[in-house]
Amino acid sequence: MPRWGMVIDLDKCTGCQSCTIACKVENNIPHGSPQEQRLRREIYWNKVIAVTSGRFPSVKTELIPMPCMHCEEAPCVTVCPAKATYRREDGIIMQDFRRCIGCKYCMVACPYGARSFNYREQEAKEYHRPDPPPERRVWGPWPFPTRTHGVVEKCTFCFHRIDQGLKEGKRIGQEVVPACVEECPSRARIFGDLDDPHSEISRLLSSRGWFRLREEMNTKCKVYYLHR
Amino acid sequence: MSSPFTSIKGRSKGFRILTAILIGLTLAGFVSFIVSYTWGHYVFGTSNSVPWGMPIVITIYLIGLSAGSLILSSLTYVFKREEYRPISRVALFLAIVLIFGAMVGIALDLGRPEKSWRLFMFFVLNNMRSMFAINGILYGGYFLIGIVYFGAILAEKYKFIKRMGIVAVLWAALVHMGTGAIFGFIDARPIYFSPIKPFEFLAAAMVSGLALLIIVVVALFKFTKIELNKSLIFPLSRLLLVLVMILSMIVLIDKLTHLYSLDRASLLWLLTGHYAWVFWGLQVGLAYFLPILLLSHPRSKNTLRGVVIASFSVGIGIFGERFGLVIPGVAYPMPFYPGKIEGIWGAEASFPLTPIETLLSLGIFSLMGLFFLLGLKYLELIPIENQEGQRTESG
Amino acid sequence: MKNGRNSESKYKLLNGLKIDRRSFLKLTAFIPGLFGGGRANGQLDVTKAHSFQENIRDSLKENWVATSCLNCSGRCAIRVRVVNGKAVRITGNPLSKISEGRVCPKAHIGLQVLYDPERIYSPLKRTNKDKGIGIDPKWISISWEEALDEIINRLISMRERGRTHQLLLFSGLNSISSEDLIRRFADAFGTPNLITENGLENETEKLGHWMADGHYEELVYDLDHTHYILAFGADLLESSRPLSRYLRKWGRLRREKSNRSKVVIVHPYYSITSAKSDEWIPISPGTDAALAMGIAHVIISEQLFDKEFISHWTTGFETYKKFVLSQSSPQWASKITGIPQETIYRIAREFSQTRPAIAIMGKEAIAWPEGSYASYAIFCLNALVGGIDRLGGILYQEVPTYKEMPRLVEDEVAKKGRNQPPIDFRRTPRFPAARVITNQIPESLLRDVPYPIQMAIGFNSNLLFSAPHKEQWDRALKKLPYYVHLSPFVSEMALYADLVLPTTTYLEEWGYDHSSSGSGSPELRIKQPAVRPRGQARSVTDILFEISKRVKGTVQHSFALLGGNSREFVKLRTSTLIPWKDLLSMGVWVGKGYQYKKYHSLFKTPSRRFEFYSGNLKNLFLEIGIERKEDFEFLPHYKEIRFLGERKQYPLILLPYQPLMMMGNGSQNYPWAQETFLPMQGMGWDTLVEINSETAKALNLKEGQSVWVESPFKKIRTRIKFSEGVHPEVVAIPMGQGHDAYGKWQKGIGVNPNEILGVDYDWISGQSAFYNTRVKVYPV
Repeated sequence: MPRWGMVIDLDKCTGCQSCTIACKVENNIPHGSPQEQRLRREIYWNKVIAVTSGRFPSVKTELIPMPCMHCEEAPCVTVCPAKATYRREDGIIMQDFRRCIGCKYCMVACPYGARSFNYREQEAKEYHRPDPPPERRVWGPWPFPTRTHGVVEKCTFCFHRIDQGLKEGKRIGQEVVPACVEECPSRARIFGDLDDPHSEISRLLSSRGWFRLREEMNTKCKVYYLHR
Repeated sequence: MSSPFTSIKGRSKGFRILTAILIGLTLAGFVSFIVSYTWGHYVFGTSNSVPWGMPIVITIYLIGLSAGSLILSSLTYVFKREEYRPISRVALFLAIVLIFGAMVGIALDLGRPEKSWRLFMFFVLNNMRSMFAINGILYGGYFLIGIVYFGAILAEKYKFIKRMGIVAVLWAALVHMGTGAIFGFIDARPIYFSPIKPFEFLAAAMVSGLALLIIVVVALFKFTKIELNKSLIFPLSRLLLVLVMILSMIVLIDKLTHLYSLDRASLLWLLTGHYAWVFWGLQVGLAYFLPILLLSHPRSKNTLRGVVIASFSVGIGIFGERFGLVIPGVAYPMPFYPGKIEGIWGAEASFPLTPIETLLSLGIFSLMGLFFLLGLKYLELIPIENQEGQRTESG
Repeated sequence: MKNGRNSESKYKLLNGLKIDRRSFLKLTAFIPGLFGGGRANGQLDVTKAHSFQENIRDSLKENWVATSCLNCSGRCAIRVRVVNGKAVRITGNPLSKISEGRVCPKAHIGLQVLYDPERIYSPLKRTNKDKGIGIDPKWISISWEEALDEIINRLISMRERGRTHQLLLFSGLNSISSEDLIRRFADAFGTPNLITENGLENETEKLGHWMADGHYEELVYDLDHTHYILAFGADLLESSRPLSRYLRKWGRLRREKSNRSKVVIVHPYYSITSAKSDEWIPISPGTDAALAMGIAHVIISEQLFDKEFISHWTTGFETYKKFVLSQSSPQWASKITGIPQETIYRIAREFSQTRPAIAIMGKEAIAWPEGSYASYAIFCLNALVGGIDRLGGILYQEVPTYKEMPRLVEDEVAKKGRNQPPIDFRRTPRFPAARVITNQIPESLLRDVPYPIQMAIGFNSNLLFSAPHKEQWDRALKKLPYYVHLSPFVSEMALYADLVLPTTTYLEEWGYDHSSSGSGSPELRIKQPAVRPRGQARSVTDILFEISKRVKGTVQHSFALLGGNSREFVKLRTSTLIPWKDLLSMGVWVGKGYQYKKYHSLFKTPSRRFEFYSGNLKNLFLEIGIERKEDFEFLPHYKEIRFLGERKQYPLILLPYQPLMMMGNGSQNYPWAQETFLPMQGMGWDTLVEINSETAKALNLKEGQSVWVESPFKKIRTRIKFSEGVHPEVVAIPMGQGHDAYGKWQKGIGVNPNEILGVDYDWISGQSAFYNTRVKVYPV
């Protein structure tokens, strides 16, 4: 059984936010508005944070893209009462909108702030794209093109691409990757099977210094960052 | 033996006006719920930084009140303190109404309330490691136990009552410790994370439940014009003092532990940031300091007025304690990476009070008030004057 | 509250909820899901859902269209996934050698550009004679026939009266095919007044290049092979062109080669590029030339230059060397720039000893008065290390050789018109080498020099927003007797129009494109409609064909053999390069591989060599009649910057920078671009002014405070952010916000720093100076 993970090379990353936007396109994430950003209600499956330290002229800002970390020991999975979020065999932490009751316990428990709540119906948005496939009437965990309000959503490592790719016999990590990985212009994001010692991701983790965010939380997350 | 309890007639003008007001507020709450259900939670003050808002604060407050109330009603049936028998039924009924209100509060705060039945699919569709799911068992069971217990009391099956009472007391304690565990077991939020949270919540439940009981009893006797036997109230007030001191000790230990811990940034923000007034003013001031002062000062501790003021202070203060836990606990930005996180990801969140959310909260309160009034009218909860051993001075 | 049995039972059934019809229907949609069969074990059966998806998927018509993007002048190749006639995804075209299949984030935002709900779809005519920002033009919709009639009548009347030179054409961001036809129209009609936006972009870069080797072109860098980048005032990862190439090559430079390239950014502002580079060197604004000269001093005095290249392929080195060694010591440079001497020595040595190395110049270093010399100085650093037309050095971009258009048919009117002096005073002693001086137009319009303008047509231009000193543009546009604006939306400039014609966005039109900066090899990219044009929008090329047909005469003849419509025009022009079917399916044609070291034919200078002493400039000055006696006027050198505003009154210097998410088409009405607008500040939907924290404290300002930023010309209001990444004398404000013409997602949001800039130029090239306006900051 593969164990999917992601590596983000902060040296190659250009801080351009293509990953954020590509994810929005792929998963039809509703856009926000000035009020929603002020009130912290915008939905980001992938966000790019800037962390500054130092004083002029020795200032340093690190731009760090943060998708869902798909932790091995995910706090969100422990606390979801309705089993709407659960860990799949291949390590992806799934989010089932059908089951989600919107209690937001997972949002409180996530140490990375990876989860967003749908505070309104998205059909009202002009750039809303009710595009195929699938429609809301397709039952399954596939990211609904339009989520109803009241459910929590988060990055899913584009599992729909992975599942379809596996069915078609494609190589995951090379031919089929999540949208953010595919659209990163500098190829700073790499996806693959952490348990496969021949995959590119394993090679990178063995040859470069890596770290994970909030290692002290012991979530054993599967998104690794390579040092600059 | 004829029942020493009766119900109120409920025909007075005051009663009718109160009922009308409560019905109005309940309807307003209901309408706000419909609004939030059809339009979405953007009408509330919650956000992705502060996902839990006023309904959750109110819910845990009510659960606390309920558990405390039930434990106190068991003073009569389990601990055989006969002097509290006159208020025992009121306390128990209050507990049932409050837990019902709390469950309604949880259901209405959900993003998708029509799926709230999923909270009760124990072991089938539920993830039983989740404290929410465990609390589902606790609250559901508590409600049922409460009803059975109350039924037994009304039917005066004394032996069963005693056994049931023991179960009820233990279960009530577990209920609010479970609520505390919902918060205490989350290590992503430093202010929440503590093994002492269940005990803190239990103490807060006792304190607030007792304060509520005192207020309700005094009000009830006043409005039904029954002479209040003061010897009923003052032991309760002394108990309240002791419990408040225990609670403040528990909270002190909890906060000190977090201050000593190197992960103290969010706690420091709670103590000095823009929610500091909730902690120092409401929690420490109104819930601990003022009641301890009032209930130990010789000039106030023996007056009814002093006790009632202290109880109100506790009531508001404990509400502030809940608020000061839930909201600042999530509002402080998480340290994803060392350094200053820029912009929205590193900013301390705020929680605006919105009309719909406030109306919904008021609606929950008024729904419970309504049920309580209905219970007073249709069930026999009020102690009758001239009970055996309870002679009053004049009619 | 409803009473009665029925509603009560309904009440009970649905969990005590009273619902209106709409949510009831929504609920019924969920009822099958409420009982979740087959999901009890926690593992969800995805395959069951997938077959359903496949059924839906099979019933859809889906295709990929290869076209090119036009959200900035990068014009990168893209592929668009279209499902049932609706564009749903944009990604790169791997056949492009420039972007190698990757795109910058703005390309994805193209979906929002295409489906902008506030686009216009029919020609609009103004009924309110008053013009200005905030004044409602009271548009009425008219038909294309009516609109074209109005325009044609005026054009024909201008021809008949021999006043064709009084037509002013503004060309903003258009495809190359549109630009070719606009130019042809200008020539055939008979006006010299074709004003592009180049005067706001990088004319000084081109001039510095030209002074050295005669190529009046953008600089192109061999990013694939370089080992060291020293960038002056350049935001490589935000505003370079083509951005997708820089983003892709950044990955390659860092970790896809055997050695990791070092990147050093010299800039007064700590941008994303500076954050991601190895070293950020804050420099006093406008002093990049001094630094370049100081570095040259070290390289020359320590004999670190490429002796072979210098001796064989350059002239003027001795004069240059003497000048540099006597005037530009690192000590001198350090005093001027504020950079420590040791740093200058170290960078110079690193730069010259890590071969191949390139010195890049960005707008911030050269869009100053005397910026041409800064540009020249920086460019010469490349020559010093022998990086001219070599692996890892400066490339000379080749342009696709389209099929030549048939000869222009001109009549006397056109010839006479074209011989009139253009109103931007290009190639006059005021602006001797300039090809276009965009920001001169308002002054010329207001003073009617050299002659008044009767009519103007703007093609996707939003100069009111992107040019400095909005106030003079406002007055000038008000004065225009008749203005026609072509764009897909009503931009700030369109608000002054008498007639607005709805054009297609780049995803709905035919065209061909190539970028002036790329991988060296020529690359042609097609533009073909991914979706049908929406509403009544028409492409610029089609509009021009229509206009030419109706103006008749020689204009019509000049357009006659060009195909008659945009599609045929593109087919015609690309026919010599690649078969049409192949171009449609592949989208890209790439010429043969780049050849380096073409020294025998490369230099277009009097000496046929790279010139450190600019013979081109000297000849030009002689030709135009400008007196310059001193030698250093033809050498790279540093001249002290003049600022607009007195230092005592206006202590700080305004630096308007261009963030990545600023769309190049003149509109920012795109939520995806807005919510991610400023990643370094972690916010969007707003502008803020960044000021050095020490400077701010000295001025008694508070974090987040509302302030006025006032220049000698105007003031704008925004909020302060304390920053450690700004030079103490500088305040930085991002461009891109401050729209007030249209757009729910942009109107009234933020402020535009261009508004308060003054008018100044690098006089030789006509490039507008953007960075020399002084300001003061004070609380509201």
